[in-house]
Amino acid sequence: MIVFDHVCKSYPGGVDAVRDLTLEVNEGETLVLLGTSGCGKTTTLKMVNRLIEPTSGHIRVRGADIMPQDPIDLRRSIGYAIQDIGLFPHMTVGENIGVVPRLLRWPREEVAERVDRLLTMVGLDPADFRDRFPVQLSGGQQQRIGVARALAADPPIVLMDEPFGALDPITRERLQDEFIELESEIRKTVLFVTHDIFEAVKMGDRVALLDEGALQQLATPSELVESPANEFVDQFLGQHRFQLSLLTRTVKTLMAELPSQDLASAEAPSGPRLRARSSLVEALNMFKTTNRESLPVYESGRCLGVLQKGQLLYMITQVLGEAGEGQ
Amino acid sequence: MNGLAGFLDKLGAEMVQRTYEHVFLTFVAMAIAILVAVPLGIALARSRRPGLTSAIMGLAGVIQTVPSLALIALIVVVFKVVSWPTVGVVPALVALVLYALLPLLRNTYTGIRQVDEATIEVATGMGMTSGQILFQVELALALPVIMAGIRIATVWTIGIATLCGLIGAGGLGYLILQGLRSVQTDYLLAGTLPAAALALLFDGILGWVEGWLTPEGLRTKAERSK
Repeated sequence: MIVFDHVCKSYPGGVDAVRDLTLEVNEGETLVLLGTSGCGKTTTLKMVNRLIEPTSGHIRVRGADIMPQDPIDLRRSIGYAIQDIGLFPHMTVGENIGVVPRLLRWPREEVAERVDRLLTMVGLDPADFRDRFPVQLSGGQQQRIGVARALAADPPIVLMDEPFGALDPITRERLQDEFIELESEIRKTVLFVTHDIFEAVKMGDRVALLDEGALQQLATPSELVESPANEFVDQFLGQHRFQLSLLTRTVKTLMAELPSQDLASAEAPSGPRLRARSSLVEALNMFKTTNRESLPVYESGRCLGVLQKGQLLYMITQVLGEAGEGQ
Repeated sequence: MNGLAGFLDKLGAEMVQRTYEHVFLTFVAMAIAILVAVPLGIALARSRRPGLTSAIMGLAGVIQTVPSLALIALIVVVFKVVSWPTVGVVPALVALVLYALLPLLRNTYTGIRQVDEATIEVATGMGMTSGQILFQVELALALPVIMAGIRIATVWTIGIATLCGLIGAGGLGYLILQGLRSVQTDYLLAGTLPAAALALLFDGILGWVEGWLTPEGLRTKAERSK
């Protein structure tokens, strides 16, 4: 969907922001660009919609090289959301969300319909919020509008530069969860920039770790955590390895490692249930809040089996042991 | 003949004529100044060239520090040297325009520059053209500030235009000068009162326009709940 082919970006004075980057973002996946500030992740992102032009190499979006394309048309076909949100303060929430559809000359009723749908999608009541101004919103609400605006013209690709970075931890967590939920429905190709390893493993189908403009490792969150490609990756994970292992291992992988329990006992029609892609941390929390000894595991409405509390705790001790050895 | 009726009978017609001349001078000077300073301010703000900007702002600032009487005298001298007309409306307009440049230039520049960088970045990233960003975002947000500059410059111009009576450009300054020469209070008042009233009137009208042009989303909560 997005292909970086030996892309370099250097600035006068010999600063190499991005060095020989080659990677491909697959259709429908969320790829996270992770790294410390100055690692080139934002530069990489901005080269996709040509806010920054590469010094050498090629970037292809949906098979076509972006350089010969009209940047205005290109940008209108790609969603864009940033940490500072940048809502237009003189426009209402509805007008803000409708910017790109209006630029694309959608009929008025279609824009209005789309605005209401997007507001509902990001969990805000259209009747209440449509005519408000950005100053009348909380930070979390503003960021929801920022995300809705990026999705407004239904672009297949969305670029997000630390979209939840400025929010308090609780709001950030909630928006991350909501975005994962939303993403699973709308299946966009998302390129997501963050400096937060926890956000990266949570949001990403794959994570690209960058340092000094060079790609250090491109892997799924669990691969990244379990088998760091080099010293830098290892150091970047640092003392968080144990927590990250718990976050990146899903209930599903755990179940594969353990003999599945009989399904009959799991047919609790409406009780608490675990999702197959829940992390071990989420599973632990659910055992804690429900105070049960076992929980059924579901994937797309189908029961896969039962997870015993004892099994989970045993697994966590294993992870703890591995993390201890790694250090 | 005494009292208000007598005063108006003697000077009423001339007051109306001189007020008209005064407003005409002010309007023409402001129109020229706006046509020069607003586009220049926009260009400077968007050029992101701080060196050029401070040079031009500095020049406009220097003009402002010259006392208005001296500026008019200076223009007459310069015009004499290049053999342009040294009396009448033309040198008067030049002085008024030069004086009005700074507040217009400064407010236009500040108004555009105060627009949040993030807003411009997102506007660009979403695929707005440069013109769309200027008109739909930058100018929309800067308009109240630019309008404030126009209001300040207009009030100043009304005041300074009284000095243009000195070089035969007419206006209310002519009445004031007559009063001064002949030590007649009624002439002084006939020039001063309308000038003060004009300044207050335009300050009020343009202040109202400024509020009207302020987008609702930029008004403070207190203003909105009124």
